[in-house]
Amino acid sequence: MRRFLLPLILLALFIGESIFVQITPHDLLGSGKIAVPRFLLAGLLFLTIFGSKKHGILYSLLFGLLFDIVYVEIIGIYLFLFPVIAFITTKLMKILQTNMAMASIIVLLGITLLEAGVYQMNLLIHHTDMVFAAFLSSRLVPTLILNAIFIILAVYPFKRLSEKFSDSLND
Amino acid sequence: MPQFFLNKRLIILLVSIIILVALIGFSLKDRENLTWPEQFLKDTTGFIQNAVSSPVNYVAGFFENVEDLQNTYKENKELKTRLDELARLESEVQRLKKDNTELREILDKKDSLSEFEPKQATVIGRNPDRWHELLIINKGKNAGIEPNMAVITSKGLIGKVKSSNTFTSTVQLLSSMDPTNRISAKIQAGDNNFFGLIEGYDKEKGLLLLKRIPYDAKVKKDQNVITSGLGGVFPESLPIGKVVDVVPDEFGLTQTAYVKPGADFYDIGHVMVVKRGALQPELMEMVDEKEEEL
Repeated sequence: MRRFLLPLILLALFIGESIFVQITPHDLLGSGKIAVPRFLLAGLLFLTIFGSKKHGILYSLLFGLLFDIVYVEIIGIYLFLFPVIAFITTKLMKILQTNMAMASIIVLLGITLLEAGVYQMNLLIHHTDMVFAAFLSSRLVPTLILNAIFIILAVYPFKRLSEKFSDSLND
Repeated sequence: MPQFFLNKRLIILLVSIIILVALIGFSLKDRENLTWPEQFLKDTTGFIQNAVSSPVNYVAGFFENVEDLQNTYKENKELKTRLDELARLESEVQRLKKDNTELREILDKKDSLSEFEPKQATVIGRNPDRWHELLIINKGKNAGIEPNMAVITSKGLIGKVKSSNTFTSTVQLLSSMDPTNRISAKIQAGDNNFFGLIEGYDKEKGLLLLKRIPYDAKVKKDQNVITSGLGGVFPESLPIGKVVDVVPDEFGLTQTAYVKPGADFYDIGHVMVVKRGALQPELMEMVDEKEEEL
């Protein structure tokens, strides 16, 4: 049972992102500012850092595919970026120590990477014509503020959950 | 064997990038229908979203109602002034409708481009990344929803159905940037109508771009923009918005109008999917045979 708790919570975050966007006003952090909830990636990276690396990357792959199919309808963008970011995180954790403050900073870094990656991909397939400066001020900064709040609230519960999850794997 | 091919990680990275490009290319292709695993996954998540979104909407609706109560007094005043006008308009609409049906009977012309049957649906999801403005609604092929149908709210057109699964469908909003997202529209200017195409959306200003209006068309501010029904998919006279500004295009051959959309693209709870009453022409019928031979 403990083994299924974390995937279920990740699924809840996956659906929660869409509900969050629906019920909050679109100018949450000022007009023209787009704050994108990246709660799912935060959860996945916490699992990678505190729990099992292998499962972190595997779930990143699965949820990336799910995200692409359900929300974007272009397969490949998140399917590629989620696991790559989880992989970079595992590499970073080898040289850094695992504590909550460090984990929060790394998750924020991961979200920055994801936003920049998605922006570049959309630019490539001509789904946006936003210039980089506009991207920084109207998307990246508000997104980081919103997700920093989420990370501060979620880092401790996720640490406990991920540790329990990796314990249940060892049993 | 050179060192290069022995590096396992590099090979994996290269292969995955090739697969990635192939997958993106595959899904960007103009697809009529999604593949069945995609449809299955979308329906399954749609089921969960449906179960979650109704209680959430209920709670959110409660808070919205409280907010509404605060503005009631001011709104009531404003509405009362409009009410007098409404009665007059209503009688005129009645008269015109009757006129219209009678004249149609005389002409023996039964189907019209503006006829449509609406289907109610509830929004159960929205793309969180907001690069691709997509909504997920809780009606699908089961309820007779097909790709390319128009989607409206009470205030006007918001987009079209991008793909439909058995129980859910995806709606692409007008505000999403997609070069294939074109809608044939017309500007109502007194006795004349000026035709153009809705192509693109200015995110910073929040205005739609109505392009390819003839250069000699005298378009003024506050004129209404509606669908023309000539694209072959949408019915006629769904409201889109009002003209805000007109500028000549880069070569001066046509004009571009900035249109303020009547509907709000963010606060969307319930939508209507519109099935056009008139026949949809097949693409093959529109191709000139002579042209094909060349």
